[in-house]
Amino acid sequence: MPKVENWQLGRAMDYPYEESRPRRQLAMIMDTNKCIACQTCTVACKTTWTPGRGQEMMLWNNVESKPYGFFPLGWDVKILEKLGVQDLSGPVYEGRTLFDAAPPGELVLGYLPEDLDYAHPNVGEDDSLGSMTQGAFLTLPHMQWMFYLPRICNHCTYPACLAACPRQSVFKRPEDGIVLIDQERCRGYRECVRGCPYKKSYFNPITHISEKCIGCYPAVEQGRQTQCTITCIGKIRLQGYLAPPAHARDDNPLDYLVHVARVALPLYPQFGLEPNVYYIPPIHVPPPYLRQMFGHGVEKAMETYRGAQDDQRLLGALLLFGATPYILHHFRVQGDWAVGYDEDRREVVRVPLREPVYLRGAYDARAGTHRTNIT
Amino acid sequence: MRNRITAPTAVLLMAIGTLAGCEQRPPLSSDLVAVRVPTDPGLRDPDSPVWRGVPEVRIDLLAQNVTPPTALEPATEELRVQAAHDGHVLAIRLEWEDPTEDVATTSDRFGDQVAVQFPAAHGGGPLPSPMMGHDGAPVRVMQWRAVLQHELDHGAPTIHDLYPNAVVDLYPDRLLGGEVASPYGGGRLVGNPVSRPRLLSPVITQVAEGWGTLTDAPDQPAGGRGVWRDGRWRVVITLPFDPHGRGEAGLQPGLETQLAFAVWDGGVQEVGSRKAWAPWAPLRIEP
Repeated sequence: MPKVENWQLGRAMDYPYEESRPRRQLAMIMDTNKCIACQTCTVACKTTWTPGRGQEMMLWNNVESKPYGFFPLGWDVKILEKLGVQDLSGPVYEGRTLFDAAPPGELVLGYLPEDLDYAHPNVGEDDSLGSMTQGAFLTLPHMQWMFYLPRICNHCTYPACLAACPRQSVFKRPEDGIVLIDQERCRGYRECVRGCPYKKSYFNPITHISEKCIGCYPAVEQGRQTQCTITCIGKIRLQGYLAPPAHARDDNPLDYLVHVARVALPLYPQFGLEPNVYYIPPIHVPPPYLRQMFGHGVEKAMETYRGAQDDQRLLGALLLFGATPYILHHFRVQGDWAVGYDEDRREVVRVPLREPVYLRGAYDARAGTHRTNIT
Repeated sequence: MRNRITAPTAVLLMAIGTLAGCEQRPPLSSDLVAVRVPTDPGLRDPDSPVWRGVPEVRIDLLAQNVTPPTALEPATEELRVQAAHDGHVLAIRLEWEDPTEDVATTSDRFGDQVAVQFPAAHGGGPLPSPMMGHDGAPVRVMQWRAVLQHELDHGAPTIHDLYPNAVVDLYPDRLLGGEVASPYGGGRLVGNPVSRPRLLSPVITQVAEGWGTLTDAPDQPAGGRGVWRDGRWRVVITLPFDPHGRGEAGLQPGLETQLAFAVWDGGVQEVGSRKAWAPWAPLRIEP
């Protein structure tokens, strides 16, 4: 079994294929502190890619509530239970990955969801951990809490779907690391559905084969961010390209946020897939819960994020989220502005670090009328 | 050593069987021989009386426990095989026990399947590995799928056939022209045989050169028909002979070749390499 380097685990690990990183890797950062579960991303993805026959129940992008929401039902708690409690306390992961834990005769530790598990995408929505007691007041972290977790396929560096497919119908593009299911080659074995711990591979009952998030590759190929990113009302997402730590460039906003500032963390890194969608953890949620979900760097990430108002560089990077439909390859803070550049270092967007303030008097001389406060 | 059961003996055996009140089985044989029969459309029908006199071989099936994902305790233990031809078409009839008829797919349901495997160079060259062939020694695999059979007989299901309470706003092909709506066709758009909307045969002809390499053959000569009744599947797979390069290459009366088998019980989520299988058994096609 080949050994590959997984920087999120801080060590090498077993994987059925030799290490072969793409020329560049599509990645995304989501700021969970800003997500309001408006589901605009979900609708954007669905109308763009999955309005077809057999795709009705697919949510390549979904937003679920935590702690009690899941799509499909219990996807994370089920695989966490199968894997067993693992040690996530340090920068080097001492536990088992899903490949280490594969049972005899299997390639990956996984399970096939029941069909009905897909029937309740809004289960647990907005449910807090518990009820507030009479007279309680919130401190940080909140004692009763919930947050929204938007999810897409993580276009993992070491995908379990790709490892699980016995006929190599799942492939990872060398130009951008996007993971795809070959619609010509797939036979609907659903080993990928079993294998993916995030359950982002879906079966189409009309075509009898499987489908998954395609990373909006037609848009990405033209330098545009994904549909779920550019339609996000809350501007919680930034999609671009991420390098492994040794090749990280400080002026690439994704490299900066993940490798330098370290405010953005991978989702369930302990599975060993090196997922490429990163999350800024919700600052109001108790760290023990978040540590299981995002790894050991959560407390540091939360502390750094809360200090953003005093860190111009971090603030500038965060303000570029949702600022432009184009993929930003470089950024910098110039005085009071955060500036984003494309691959050829052409300026694509410019965002003020402070929202400009306009004072409007009670009387509008130009229109010859009084301004009425109608709020 | 071959047991040639003559016609009078076969009749006597069947009569004894009937008198004894047990199930009327075709005569048992230890060797797989494709007997020559007069041309009969019943060759393509697993329920046809033409099969009653054709000797039957009982094949013990093995667990696929070599390459992951494995099936360590597959559902099917025995396959009954008969073969016959009329000089134009070779027909292989397969019968096995399956308590459930699995003909539809949803995310956790799989269809029943059976497959026969030939060396690609019928009767010539080194024998390929019985496990889907090996590098440089390809095999031909004819795979019958209950789901495709069902769609051929009853039409492809809509989402409302699978989920009666499904709510759908609008499909792209209702609003957009064919060209623009085609990306939403997925497997159907690219002509994946498992997805294909214009179904011609419930049997997919494929080639392989080792496990994991199974690919559709450019030609699709195999036909077939399957019927499930009383806890048993009865499937016929047909292959035209190849006198002028239009049938199954190398297949002809008088050929001695090998045949391997695989069976999948969709009811227990068998699919792909999770299967029961049998290695090469000699097949003699009567001249």
